[in-house]
Amino acid sequence: MIRFERVTKRYADGTLAVDDLSLECADGEITVLVGTSGCGKTTSLRMINRLVDPTSGTIRVAGKDVTKSDPAELRRTMGYVIQQGGLFPHRTVIDNIAPVPRLLGASRAKARGRAYEMLTLVGLSEPMGKRYPYQLSGGQQQRVGVARALAADPPVLLMDEPFSAVDPVVRSELQQELQRLQAQLHKTIVFVTHDVDEAVKLGDKIAVMQVGGHLVQFDTPERILARPENAFVESFVGTDRGIRWLSFFAAKGLRLHVPATVETTTSAEDARRIAREAGTGWLLALDADRHPLGWLEVATLNGGASIELAGLRSLGHTFKPDDDSLRAALDATVLSPAGVAVAVDDRGVVVGVADHEEVTRAIRAASGRA
Amino acid sequence: MIAAASTSFGGVISYLTSASNWRGSSGFLERILQHFEYSAETLLIAVAIGLPLGLLSGHTGRGGAVLSMLSNASRALPTLGLLTIFAILIGVGLEAAVIPLIFLAVPSILVNTYVGIRDVDRSLVDAARGMGLRPWQVLFRIEIPVALPLIVLGLRTAALQVVSTATIAAYVGLGGLGRYIIDGQASRNFAELGAGGVLVAAFAIATESMFLVCQWFLVSPGVRARAYTS
Ligand SMILES: Nc1ncnc2c1ncn2[C@@H]1O[C@H](COP(=O)(O)OP(=O)(O)O)[C@@H](O)[C@H]1O
Ligand SMILES: [Mg+2]
Repeated sequence: MIRFERVTKRYADGTLAVDDLSLECADGEITVLVGTSGCGKTTSLRMINRLVDPTSGTIRVAGKDVTKSDPAELRRTMGYVIQQGGLFPHRTVIDNIAPVPRLLGASRAKARGRAYEMLTLVGLSEPMGKRYPYQLSGGQQQRVGVARALAADPPVLLMDEPFSAVDPVVRSELQQELQRLQAQLHKTIVFVTHDVDEAVKLGDKIAVMQVGGHLVQFDTPERILARPENAFVESFVGTDRGIRWLSFFAAKGLRLHVPATVETTTSAEDARRIAREAGTGWLLALDADRHPLGWLEVATLNGGASIELAGLRSLGHTFKPDDDSLRAALDATVLSPAGVAVAVDDRGVVVGVADHEEVTRAIRAASGRA
Repeated sequence: MIAAASTSFGGVISYLTSASNWRGSSGFLERILQHFEYSAETLLIAVAIGLPLGLLSGHTGRGGAVLSMLSNASRALPTLGLLTIFAILIGVGLEAAVIPLIFLAVPSILVNTYVGIRDVDRSLVDAARGMGLRPWQVLFRIEIPVALPLIVLGLRTAALQVVSTATIAAYVGLGGLGRYIIDGQASRNFAELGAGGVLVAAFAIATESMFLVCQWFLVSPGVRARAYTS
């Protein structure tokens, strides 16, 4: 456990970067420090591995005051990942990772073996090990940064905006990768970001900080979204916090309906009859294995031959009731041309649909419970 | 005029290619060796002064302003003037020639080393410290290798300055390739004077080449490629 006990940091120029911070980062959890630029997140993080020393107050890791440890020794027990990767340009990827276990006394061969193991762990191939950092994409560099931080198998991982400099698609991949690693490794992670979405996605606990180094709220992501402590947190988490908050409720509770469906071989005449009987203007088109193909708008059908695949409207996206949240289900209804979200199982087979009314009912039920 | 020039050019060639001019205590081989000696000695001392100071101030970020002020001041000193002063102060001899050359060489080494280390991306140093490297490990494992292109550039510049200026040793009665230039000038022997010039130029080119080769082997491909692409 990492404990901040009334920690204050005032820099030599008088800047109050962190003001009387008390905080507990639980073992095996991800604690996210979030807040606007300049609010003291980096300073707080760097006081943990003594890249900065507090002006007053104490930081304890596993009960021990960090200022009682030798800084270099202390840092070897903590992985440190920074925004721009901080990879050493003159060394190959493997030689960026291997020195970490070497510092802890591993033999050269063992350290290299460990480095290759880490490379695979973060989703990079072994031949990448021989490349130099400039030959990697930004996302790959961040993965190497994470591999390096994990190489000594430290109990603590300090991450300072590690995914901020990569594009949104890669960022989301890296976030998922971190979640996968964490499920496997159970590190005590302190993660700094200015991005609320990232904080909500990754944090077990979130500490919202305000300029001047104040801690405003320290809570679970769910409660931060549902019950912001004050106007600052409320405006910081944004106007769509309600939508974000839905990601904490499983879509499992939705009552799915059986949709009116057609197959590609169905004639236009049959399609009109099916729609009339179901009392709907939209039919869900399926292939032979009951995978969804798209929506057929009955009003646009002309002639009597088979329905035209080209005339199908896109599904938007589907959701999985067992894995996804109400947020995903709501998003699927909004994007569906028929206003109906399609639920599929792991094999992509349609298991039912949910319309606006049903999603709204589920949201009401969920917020009633919160 | 043209005839005279081509005659003297031919004279230089024949002076250079005459086998007897290569041998003996005032032959080319001996003079080249002397020139190398003065240059190498100067450079070693300059490195011993400039490199540690540049590394230390670059690493700690302290004293940069003072160092660059001293460097600029010493760069402004005329080497020949210094030579005269030292010759008068300590008498004609090796020291009188080498000391002004050291003044010439130290600034390039010092300033380039300082700037090279200072310019190492702060996030690298941060990452290195964060992984538990001690300050001297950060310097030797990270800062120096990354700054190496600039450090070697400083050494190369200093070496070229020294090699081309070591001719002044002849003014205080020492050997080296400057002998031919001084003596040639004094006796209006243009073949000798020209040969001296050619040899000094060749020596400089050889020095430059040697440093380029060293740079190629010393600088990591990762840093080399970055230096070219950025
Ligand atoms: N070394 C330093 N010296 C003086 N002031 C600093 C130093 N580092 C950060 N600060 C100041 O402290 C405040 C908090 O900075 P920082 O911890 O980097 O914030 P964040 O990571 O949340 O953006 C800022 O006002 C910043 O300008
Ligand atoms: Mg920061």
